[in-house]
Amino acid sequence: MSWEFITTHPLMIMLGWPLIKIVILLVPVMTIVAYIVWFERRLLGFFQSRLGPNRVGPLGLLQPVADGLKLLLKEDLVPSNARPFLFRIAPIFAFFPALTGFAIVTWALPWIKPSGKAHGFVVADVDLGILLVLALSSLAIFGIILGGWASGSKYPLFGSLRSASQMLAYEVPLTFSILAVILMAGSFKLSDIVSAQQNMTLLGWKGFYFLVPGLVAFGVYLVAAVAETNRTPFDLPEGESEIIGFHAEYSGMRFAWYFVAEYTNVVLISVLGTCLFLGGYDIPFVNDAALYLTHPWLVSILGVASFAAKGALFAFFFVWIRATWPRYRYDQLLKIGWLVLLPISLANLLLVALVKLAFLR
Amino acid sequence: MNALLRFVKMVTFWELIQGLVITNKYLFKPKVTELYPDKRPVLPYRTKGRLHVEIETCISCRMCERACPEGCIKVFPPPKEVFKTDKRPQEFIISQEHCLHCGMCVDACPTGSIHHSMEYELVVYNFNELLFDKERLPFDLDQTRYRWNWLENVPVK
Repeated sequence: MSWEFITTHPLMIMLGWPLIKIVILLVPVMTIVAYIVWFERRLLGFFQSRLGPNRVGPLGLLQPVADGLKLLLKEDLVPSNARPFLFRIAPIFAFFPALTGFAIVTWALPWIKPSGKAHGFVVADVDLGILLVLALSSLAIFGIILGGWASGSKYPLFGSLRSASQMLAYEVPLTFSILAVILMAGSFKLSDIVSAQQNMTLLGWKGFYFLVPGLVAFGVYLVAAVAETNRTPFDLPEGESEIIGFHAEYSGMRFAWYFVAEYTNVVLISVLGTCLFLGGYDIPFVNDAALYLTHPWLVSILGVASFAAKGALFAFFFVWIRATWPRYRYDQLLKIGWLVLLPISLANLLLVALVKLAFLR
Repeated sequence: MNALLRFVKMVTFWELIQGLVITNKYLFKPKVTELYPDKRPVLPYRTKGRLHVEIETCISCRMCERACPEGCIKVFPPPKEVFKTDKRPQEFIISQEHCLHCGMCVDACPTGSIHHSMEYELVVYNFNELLFDKERLPFDLDQTRYRWNWLENVPVK
């Protein structure tokens, strides 16, 4: 295969390059997902005056490997009451939407070739990217409901019922909080949203991102995002400490799919929140475009580093609230979603529109 | 004013933030986890560890055998002719597997030849390894000295 074929053949452009990009993206993302489990367990230990897992490898860094091996070697049980096909396919339904969401994320400043053509660090820069992620996150709930129902047992069924009611509560506020960002950026495309934050001026100042004008939307996004990832204080479908969750009948690797799906969702929500509100790969207090002309490599590396740091802040917050707040009942969550978050985010939408008209340039 | 304060607290999620501040304090506090195999703990003077027996001072009275609620001590006195001159037991067996570490035998012993030691690592692969006989019930003077130190440190009123 010649270089000519690789770069110009339509088959390669349609299938080959996206596949290569997917592999390049999937390896670090899955590594981060594995290590966010370790990160959470260590940090949760620190919050509770413990040390957390520190026995496997230095600082316990091989703990995810040990966990994965343990789950791989466990027996894969299918209850006799279950519907075998749906029971087996449900974890995949929960897992793949979370993973697909990473396709639209822009990870670094676009690489400008000598010919003047820009290449974004993104698998598929979809025009309606945010809507795609929202649609996929609804599909992920479908996997949870399906798993609970197909188990043929009452406790998982109740878990999936709670999951359904939770979806009703958070989907609409989540969409409205993201709508405020879309309004400010004027685009559904994630790369446009990030570059809009880089170029945005608020009262003559640069580098505010959408966090400052969209502070209320950010708060609503945080609450709805915690609900979307099924984590404390909104871990109603799972409820691992008291109420029995939707994956009570799952064991071995099928349970691991649900487990990994949850943490992939955490990473996805952190990454999306970084792109929407914290400026994505933009380096704080630095004019990226000016620095890019002199030090392109430095900007790329620092950009990815700042992206990772902002995402880690999100992940830290997720663990922090897990260590602090107790769980809400699901009627309370519905109340929060429809009576608090929805009016707030609707009013904020109006406010954001006025702010954009008056101050944003 | 009070109503205003309540409203401000409600809008800013004051209680939730207070909780976050408290957990954040614990993040930086020293941890209570003991790193057992890496760092051995310094045990208190009166630790009730594995039983040690000083065979030389034992008079084979079998008081410890009777005092033991679990029946895990077995004393084999010497034959009568030997017993008149030499009261040391022929064999002394403690099944540490059943021992409660209650200290009844230590209280019952008239000569003070049975007592607890500081050994606490009694994890074995085979139960027989927990069956301690005459050769494996040593008397460690240093440990005894350490244990009796507490008498000097008792606060006097």
